[in-house]
Amino acid sequence: MSTEPKAAAPAEETAVLSTKPESLGHQVLRKFLGNKLAIMGLILLLFFIVVALLAPYIAPYEPAKVDLLSSNKGPSAAHWLGTDNIGRDVFSRLLYGSRVSLVVGFSVAAGAVILGSLVGSVAGYLGGWVDTVLMRLIDVMLSFPGLFLNILVLAIFGSHFVYLILIMVFTSWMGVARLVRGQFLQLREMQYVEAARAIGVPSWQIMFNHLLRNATGPIIVAATLNVGGAILGESALSFLGLGVQAPQTSWGQMLSNAQQYMLVNPVFAVYPGLCIFLTVLAVNFVGDGIRDAMDPRQKIHIPKGRMAEWRARFSKSRA
Amino acid sequence: MWEYLVRRTAQSLLTLLLISIVTFGLIHAAPGGPATMFIKPGQSPEQVARQMELWGLDRPLHIQYLDWLGRMTRGDFGNTFRANRPVGELLWPALKNTVILMGTAWLLSLLVAIPWGIYNSTRQYGISDNLAAAVGYAGFAMPAFWFGIILQVTFALTLKWLPLSDMHSMSRRGEFLDLLRHMVLPVMTLVLINLASYLKYSRASMLEVLGQDYVRTARAKGVPERKVVFRHALRNALIPIITVLGLDLPYIVGGAALTETVFNWPGMGRLFVDNAMAREYTVLMGVTVVTAFVVILGNLLADILYAAVDPRVRLTGKGVTSA
Repeated sequence: MSTEPKAAAPAEETAVLSTKPESLGHQVLRKFLGNKLAIMGLILLLFFIVVALLAPYIAPYEPAKVDLLSSNKGPSAAHWLGTDNIGRDVFSRLLYGSRVSLVVGFSVAAGAVILGSLVGSVAGYLGGWVDTVLMRLIDVMLSFPGLFLNILVLAIFGSHFVYLILIMVFTSWMGVARLVRGQFLQLREMQYVEAARAIGVPSWQIMFNHLLRNATGPIIVAATLNVGGAILGESALSFLGLGVQAPQTSWGQMLSNAQQYMLVNPVFAVYPGLCIFLTVLAVNFVGDGIRDAMDPRQKIHIPKGRMAEWRARFSKSRA
Repeated sequence: MWEYLVRRTAQSLLTLLLISIVTFGLIHAAPGGPATMFIKPGQSPEQVARQMELWGLDRPLHIQYLDWLGRMTRGDFGNTFRANRPVGELLWPALKNTVILMGTAWLLSLLVAIPWGIYNSTRQYGISDNLAAAVGYAGFAMPAFWFGIILQVTFALTLKWLPLSDMHSMSRRGEFLDLLRHMVLPVMTLVLINLASYLKYSRASMLEVLGQDYVRTARAKGVPERKVVFRHALRNALIPIITVLGLDLPYIVGGAALTETVFNWPGMGRLFVDNAMAREYTVLMGVTVVTAFVVILGNLLADILYAAVDPRVRLTGKGVTSA
């Protein structure tokens, strides 16, 4: 893939000269900043966050304001992207939709990480039958289509925003739990854990202060990738009519509306989908960027041109 | 081997049982329970009680559950509350339609993804490899239903090449060519979702195998590169892909539900979504259990196949251990 961080040659030269080795955080940051896709993703994500925060100030209209006299209008000076079937301003609705997507994306990811870390650390640290039971539970959860469970719960209990987030957390923590458990199985054999235990540090402190902190890297990566998944999940549920309810707006809901009026105005289906696509793409680029930057095994991909230059300068046997 | 088979099958059955309990529990934990389906405002308590008795909802929960479970093993999923039709009448045709759609999409994505992934693994970071990476990013970040809508707008509304939705045209029910024309767009949608992960895994799996010592040995003793890739490496690279196919199943089923809704395809996913809105509990429970059954069966088959194909996997009573 073309996402590998490119090594910054000058930085490496200075690293050799200075006596103090580069700190880990600094190294990760340098690798991340050298990754074009990740930077692009970060800028795009920040853009959407700013839009979401400033939506009430930017939006020219109330997103839920119905104006039946000017329904299904094309783009104009008054309505930049036109109006929908009951005359709501599409541009304003898009702006407000970013709020729902981002709030759901980040809160579901946060919830999934907390729940997943908790289950994963308990399973990984305690081992034995606790581990077996929890892992079987994860197997059960994983072998069931999460979307179906989400639909079932929302249909039965009603589509409240809080329920939406809770059920999505409940169906997306398993990946993080497996990851944390795997990390714990490795880390708990470390000598510093043995040392901590020897001086009488309680188990829960070893779990959260020593082990979990050392597993932070992979957890952050999993969290970012969860954000994208959650945004997609919310859009799917809202598209099916079970997520965010009118008068609130979300991109998925706009899409389902757009599909109903596809014959009248097919372009409306493009905007909300494009917004979802770009947001998730941005989050995934950032996640991949962090993963690549933190992976010490990640090979540095040297462009062919620079490699040839290096060969010409340093290789003894000239071809 | 037999011990492993029995153990693994028992595990699958247990999982299925747990899922049925969760589904049943969720539905009966709902405020008002299934009774909200048929209680109309203004009914006297006696009328309500008679209805409850009629549907067997007045019995203790565990009896209701066991009764439901017992009848399900005999293929009886109960009746719908509104139309009082057997759920099986709705369920089996829907399952057939979903299998037609998903099966085609699945085979097609494998036929594309595996050769393409192999090619990319031999030419890392080439044009084709970068293109595949782009497809992967797009597939992971794009809402499947949006891609479906875009296809509808492009090929059905603008170009008018293909039908917009449904499984058959009204006048041509049952014609194969007509079905095929209706399948193109939903299959394309599903292929994109599947392709993203299959491409990634087939490439990664091949790369891993191509880096191993025995491949180097084969190359060193002068085996032609073609033979190294297809005979030596591919066989071993396919093994981990089998597991991924099994694990990806729930994800694909979810994607199929959305695609079916977009294209109005009369499958399991749409049946579920429609009845979720209508709160037809018997249908919801039936679809959930049948879907879970199919997914778990898929996982089980993948695991067994994995064990059968890979000689390095030694099967013991405790599970799989690598030799």
